[in-house]
Amino acid sequence: MSIQETSGSSSDDSRRSGNGGKRRAGGAGGAGGGAGGGRFFGRRKSCPFSGSEAPKIDYKDVRLLGRFVSERGKIVPSRITAVSGKKQRELTKAIKRARFLALLPFVNDRAGA
Amino acid sequence: MPYYESVFIVRQDIPSAQVEALTSQFADIVKAHGGEVKKTEQWGLRNLAYRIRKNKKGHYVLFNLDAPHTAVDEMERNMRLHEDILRFLTVKVDEFEEGPSVMMRRDEREERGDRPSRGGPRSDRGERSDRAPRDVVADAE
Repeated sequence: MSIQETSGSSSDDSRRSGNGGKRRAGGAGGAGGGAGGGRFFGRRKSCPFSGSEAPKIDYKDVRLLGRFVSERGKIVPSRITAVSGKKQRELTKAIKRARFLALLPFVNDRAGA
Repeated sequence: MPYYESVFIVRQDIPSAQVEALTSQFADIVKAHGGEVKKTEQWGLRNLAYRIRKNKKGHYVLFNLDAPHTAVDEMERNMRLHEDILRFLTVKVDEFEEGPSVMMRRDEREERGDRPSRGGPRSDRGERSDRAPRDVVADAE
């Protein structure tokens, strides 16, 4: 896929992901999205896209992509979803394409309960 | 010839018969430049995730193209100029998806209730990892 695309959504999560990258190596679950500062050592799931039965990342598959997007519409970091680095990049590209095609929103202001 | 996948969105006011006419019009442009339209899919009138040019819905059409880049360029050029086309996206692919695409297959699949954990934090951003937990900071008062 060699199309060059200017995407409107810049990675406004980059502030956070810098810290997450450092913590991940140490295995400390504290940065891993623990609610209220708890330690989470249980988040050791394997990448959902690895293995033979893995779904293919497709920008048209809104349902699949929607699982990796927060309630506000932001892309969830891989330290929470346990997606591998390579697949996270593919996923990000697919999500941004889907956003461009209005299959996914850029921001979900009106997301209710 | 390289494979392309193209999706475009037509304005909601256009009747679907006319959308199909538009579709075949673009298919003809591709053919005229030596390409082939391998698959056409109409996803129908869908809700857009956000408003595009004041439209809340749009007709989505998918093309699978086996065409030289000149044909694709010409098709895109026409789409760009056409008033009724809201968005288009053409992507180069290594191979085509067999059978109906994910959108069309959606009705067969059951609603999947399983959602992998999308992050424990209540708020969207979660706790800041470079800051001490809140109970420590409160002591400064």
